[in-house]
Amino acid sequence: MSATPAVSVNHLTKVFKGHLGKGAFRAVHDMSFTVEAGEVYGLIGPNGSGKSTTMKAILGLLNPTEGDTSIFGIPSTEVASRRSVGFLPENPYFYKHLTGRETLHFYGKLCGMSGDQLKSRAEEMLALTGLEDAATRRVGGYSKGMLQRLGLAQALIHEPQLLVLDEPTAGVDPSGSRIIRDLIIEFRSRGITVLVTSHLLEQMQEVCDRVGIMAHGRMVREGRLDELIAVENQTELVLENASTDLLAKIDALVKAEGGSTRLLRSGHPRTTLERLFIEATNEPKKP
Amino acid sequence: MSQALPSSAAASVAPVRFSPRRVWTLAYATMTQLMRMKILPFLLLFCALVAAMGFGFSTLNPEQQLSQFKTMSLGVLQVFSIVFGIVATALLLPKDLEDRTLYTILSKPVPRFDYLLGKLIGVLMLIASGLIIIDAVLSLILWLQQSMLFASAVSQLHSENQDSPEAVAQMREIVARQGLTWNLHWAVWAIFLKATVVTTVALLLSCIASSTLFTIVITFCITIIGHGHAMIREFIFQPNLGSTSTRIATFLLATICPDLAQFDVVDSVANGEIVPWVAVYEMTGIAALYMTVYLFVTHLVFVEKEL
Repeated sequence: MSATPAVSVNHLTKVFKGHLGKGAFRAVHDMSFTVEAGEVYGLIGPNGSGKSTTMKAILGLLNPTEGDTSIFGIPSTEVASRRSVGFLPENPYFYKHLTGRETLHFYGKLCGMSGDQLKSRAEEMLALTGLEDAATRRVGGYSKGMLQRLGLAQALIHEPQLLVLDEPTAGVDPSGSRIIRDLIIEFRSRGITVLVTSHLLEQMQEVCDRVGIMAHGRMVREGRLDELIAVENQTELVLENASTDLLAKIDALVKAEGGSTRLLRSGHPRTTLERLFIEATNEPKKP
Repeated sequence: MSQALPSSAAASVAPVRFSPRRVWTLAYATMTQLMRMKILPFLLLFCALVAAMGFGFSTLNPEQQLSQFKTMSLGVLQVFSIVFGIVATALLLPKDLEDRTLYTILSKPVPRFDYLLGKLIGVLMLIASGLIIIDAVLSLILWLQQSMLFASAVSQLHSENQDSPEAVAQMREIVARQGLTWNLHWAVWAIFLKATVVTTVALLLSCIASSTLFTIVITFCITIIGHGHAMIREFIFQPNLGSTSTRIATFLLATICPDLAQFDVVDSVANGEIVPWVAVYEMTGIAALYMTVYLFVTHLVFVEKEL
């Protein structure tokens, strides 16, 4: 792992100037964080909290009012910093007249790729994102989930070391969403750094190593996910096939311990609605 | 998939330079994108219109008939190329921004100048293709008409017993002067140059404004003012006309607007006058200068634009 952080944001402030009598708007205020190479970093927060503005500043699409951002040590203001980044915007659209394969060739050429290298890389990305069968179809006919996956493929076409994903599962059904989430996990296993924003906290919890929580343009919490969500003064005990007697014994033991130790609850743990949906919809079709 | 390693960071520090290949990729994509905007049926309609016009002045003498045909068709061609250049350019940038295609393009190692130039060349390539097709159709119709008119004039001279070799030669000269000559192609070239300048102005305005309608309306206004540039200059250099503030405003207007009358050779071509090579070089040089200046300003605006 490189010592240089994949993303470095230092005291970033972004103020949008007001027009026609409207006052200036401070979208991001004195934000600092780093994303280490190889990790999945989640930037979460409600709408209007400044996530997209921060991402655009990192990608050099916006100029910071104060502070600076860099990618693998190269300032985001330099075009060269984009050599190591792949970006998937929220709800991406592509040129509708191109097919999926042509779209990947177009983005590959923009990155200076050509010939067999481009062709094989495009095929590899189509296979990775499960779009091989739709490769010759016009993008105009793609579903939202397919567009997201094509967006991921174009983001990866030039083998970037960092992926920036803005709401990658927005508007995608749970199955499509699961595919994208699995891809993010795979990217991490391949050493690709991922910076991702999403409203779907449960999914973020499953994929992120570290998270930053934004509100009103500021970073309000930041750290390793397991540390942030751990309830320090509680201990979870999950038993399988436990009899009522055993549970009663445990309860008695806890009571016998005295002091401040209490059994807060016991019962069957619940699966998530998302898991239930995935399981139900993936069951074999009944004849 | 190959393993992505951060070790190439050192190589990534090298600046991303201007790349003709990248510009070509963007230009080609822009051209195909515009082709999808049903421009071809419009082009075919125009060709049909030109063909109809070519045989629509049968009551006139050969000289007038050929002259009117050239005036009408080149005039329509001029309007077509300017309208297309303005509208297509005004639509492109806002559409890329709205669809977030601009984000996916500019988040790749693509300098903003390459993007701008690619878009401009894409529009110009389509205008050039259209003009080449129409020029070919125009040339064919003019040649056919020229042959028919000459044959008919000679036959009339014969019926009036006036078909002396001198009279036939004179008639041949008249018809040839008004018929198909290199001048027609120079007129089409001048139309292209004018459309190029107007399109570059539209690109500049679309980078400044967020509204497509604003870009279209203001570019049309600049195009109209650009045709009256000589009058503006005359006003500025007349010491007794207007207040100081009016003169300053007029001077600014003259600085901002291109002098489009420099490319007006259609009337001369329609009248059978010869367009000298010097005039062609001059027009091309002026168009290149305007393009360079407007594109430079566009780049300065776009490079600072917040997306």
